[in-house]
Amino acid sequence: MIPAAWICLLSPLAATLLITLGWNRLSRRGAGYLATLSVAVSFVAAIVAFAALLGDSPNERYHPSTLWSWLTAGQLDFGLRIVVDPLSVFMMLVVSGVGMLIVLYSIGYMDGDDEERRYFAYMALFVFSMLLLVQAGNLLILLVGWGLVGLSSYLLIGFWHDRPSAVAAAKKAFVINAIGDATFALALFLLIQRTGSLNFEVVFTQSIHGSWAINLIALGLLGGAVAKSAQLPLHTWLPDAMEGPTPVSALIHAATMVTAGVYLIVRTGSLFEQAPKVLELAAGLGAITIVMAGLIALVQVDIKRVIAYSTMSQIGYMFLAAGLGAYPNAMFHLMTHAFFKALLFMAAGLVIHALAGEQDMRKMGGLNRLLPFTYVCFAIGALSLAGIPPFAGFFSKDSILAAALDGGWYGELLWVAGMVGTFLTGLYAFRMLFIVFWGEPSGFVREHLMPGSHAHAREGPLSMTSTVGTLAVLTVIGGFLQFANVWTPLTTWLDPVARPLVEASGTQEAVSSILAVALGAAGIGIAWWIYGSRKAAAPRIAWAQNLLEHKFYFDEAYDFAFYRPAVFLATGLSRWIERPLVFGSVRELVQGVGLLGRDTSRLQTGLVRTYVLLIAASIAVLTVVFVAVR
Amino acid sequence: MIVASFANVLVWAIWVLAAFACLGSGIAVISFTNPFYASLSLIGNLASLAVMYLLLSAEFVAAAQVLVYAGAVMVMFLFVTAYLGNRADAPWAGAPSWQTLGAVAACSALFVEVIVVVGLKTSGRLSHQGKIDSSFGRPHEIGRLFLTDHLLAFEITSIVLLIAAVGGVILGSHSRDTPTKGVQQ
Amino acid sequence: MKGPDVVWYLCVAGFLFSTGALGVLIRRSPLIVLLSLEIMLNGANLALIAFSRHFAQGDGQIFALTVMAVAASEVVVGLGLIVAIARQKLDLDVDKLSTLRG
Repeated sequence: MIPAAWICLLSPLAATLLITLGWNRLSRRGAGYLATLSVAVSFVAAIVAFAALLGDSPNERYHPSTLWSWLTAGQLDFGLRIVVDPLSVFMMLVVSGVGMLIVLYSIGYMDGDDEERRYFAYMALFVFSMLLLVQAGNLLILLVGWGLVGLSSYLLIGFWHDRPSAVAAAKKAFVINAIGDATFALALFLLIQRTGSLNFEVVFTQSIHGSWAINLIALGLLGGAVAKSAQLPLHTWLPDAMEGPTPVSALIHAATMVTAGVYLIVRTGSLFEQAPKVLELAAGLGAITIVMAGLIALVQVDIKRVIAYSTMSQIGYMFLAAGLGAYPNAMFHLMTHAFFKALLFMAAGLVIHALAGEQDMRKMGGLNRLLPFTYVCFAIGALSLAGIPPFAGFFSKDSILAAALDGGWYGELLWVAGMVGTFLTGLYAFRMLFIVFWGEPSGFVREHLMPGSHAHAREGPLSMTSTVGTLAVLTVIGGFLQFANVWTPLTTWLDPVARPLVEASGTQEAVSSILAVALGAAGIGIAWWIYGSRKAAAPRIAWAQNLLEHKFYFDEAYDFAFYRPAVFLATGLSRWIERPLVFGSVRELVQGVGLLGRDTSRLQTGLVRTYVLLIAASIAVLTVVFVAVR
Repeated sequence: MIVASFANVLVWAIWVLAAFACLGSGIAVISFTNPFYASLSLIGNLASLAVMYLLLSAEFVAAAQVLVYAGAVMVMFLFVTAYLGNRADAPWAGAPSWQTLGAVAACSALFVEVIVVVGLKTSGRLSHQGKIDSSFGRPHEIGRLFLTDHLLAFEITSIVLLIAAVGGVILGSHSRDTPTKGVQQ
Repeated sequence: MKGPDVVWYLCVAGFLFSTGALGVLIRRSPLIVLLSLEIMLNGANLALIAFSRHFAQGDGQIFALTVMAVAASEVVVGLGLIVAIARQKLDLDVDKLSTLRG
């Protein structure tokens, strides 16, 4: 089991190194196959680890393994440590499984790009980083994986580096993530001070003295999670991150990296439980994000941005669950969301690929007959997103909402937000579907759709269609992993690591589910009314439209509050301190030396008489000195 | 007694004459504008010095002084002065520049210091004059000293003279290139 | 025969030396500068001879003779230089010969 875990972790890293070292000796396709193979090996290894873990009794399912002692300082000792336990194996399976499908899809999507090798090297690096994050056995290695994931995200968002918008988006993502990393690191410092270690066994079993300390630690961890998962208030980077290639958006910004925040909260649950106010804050932030992101998604015209805001919204659900202590529900939704969100992104990628790179929905239309396979997959994804049974999204989202009802008055408040979110989800998801796929093919589509003898050729190569199909199947069957209180293998599996604090009762489940499905269907219906059958025009409320199109003015607010003062400070420092003091002192020094040299050279008059006079005068003076000293 | 005191007075009188001649001709050398007159004043200086050497029982040195200095060196000076013509410069003309003032100050300081050191610091030690025998200052005594105690100085001096002679010849020879116009900086 | 003390001779020597130094510093013609230099050397010689007589040792006279020889060779070279300068049609003025100015 331990070797399997290490193989799972290191296989994508090996691929990165091989691609980097081989470079031109490897064909572009070859790099793609190598990367896919490495992630497939990871997946197989994860399955092996899972099977081995199943063989253990539930209380013994915890196997750390240290490679060597990485950082020692005084009494502190941090090793290169991974751990195989139910939570980490679960994440390993999700990450490597979905990752494998997406990397395979990329072979078709990125075909023909000049820099394919660099892309696959980065993708393999990302998979390695994410696996490092989820397999970490102490919080320091988790932070390392955290940082590496941020780096891979930056590299992949800015992959097409000759596009200034992509570069700017990559920078934005990195900076906002860095804020989260900073709070995370500060929390770790406090934790080290209180417990003297960062290993999971030590940190999660001790109770931290001092309420302010534990609150700060939890707050720091939450800060990191919020930044990485693009929740309010550190969410502004996610829509811009759509500048990267579509498979990147699928893998990093839907299925895996953005869920790292949820994983963190579930993993460090015992710390958060000692700081209940922070947990409540997490749930609250999640709830606000659900509604806000759902509203913004209603006015987006870029197909990928709709899906991005949808991601933001769905992770809000996960935060809501984790914040209330419903950890298995959060993880369940993490898994199903990985399936259907990756499916949506990749199906959108098929559309974009077929339309030669166009992402504006207003130019699309009537693609249901032209791209039938894509249409079906997209519909499956959208239905799952809206929470319609029997697709996966229904089971996972409803489990969260039902658990919310068990969380006291605060939980019920959040439940309301979740319900509003369900309505909005149905609305924007099907708005997108109807605009893109229904109606008559638009002029743009007729001009630009790739020519092909029949639909199948237009839909894209086998690497793309097969993976999308696989994900569609998973979306259909994935929900049956857990159902209400009746069938809970996931909760049982995660029990040793993450015991839930709230459990919905049967009635709560039933009520919540029926209402949720009804609201979702209502959203779909209204979307059909406006966008599907074009029976009514979309309502235009100017101020609301403005507010939503500007994404609630968050970008402008941050620009005003942080960017402008920073630039002001920097220019001020440059002009008043650096130029006169630093520059000036160096320049003054140079000038001074020059002046000294010039003045000293004046002594060399070339006149013998002056020299002799000086000698005579010196002798006169020195004689006095010597005589007086005697 | 009277003879002794008369001899003493005689010595003192000669000394005073020689000293004043020495000092006077020294001042004359640095004051004359005409280099010819300055050279002649130097000859007078050398002669008075020779007299003083005689008073100090250094007969050989006195003779060498007249022969070498007055006879050879000054002849050279006069030759060159004749060759160069009468290029005069007036040292005391015009307003005293800081150079002149500085020079006068430095030199007066030097003179005063010599007097002070000689007068104050060496008062005790310079009272007893040593006894000399008859061979003091004689040529054979000088020669003996040169060839025994100070042989190295003797040899090196001969090398120096040789080098000076060679240098003089080289400096005085005609250069092969056409003399370029003097470059004034 | 008693004569003046060595101190008197030293005063004369000192005066000669200072006068020679003044001449070197004041005069602009290199020829006169050489002459003043000779005066300085003679002053030193006088001091040497005076001390030689005072301490009744012949070493001072040896030293004085060596000084004389060196002075002679120095005059040779100096006059050679002056003649060379004059041949180059340069001004025989110490102040004008300042090519080595820094």
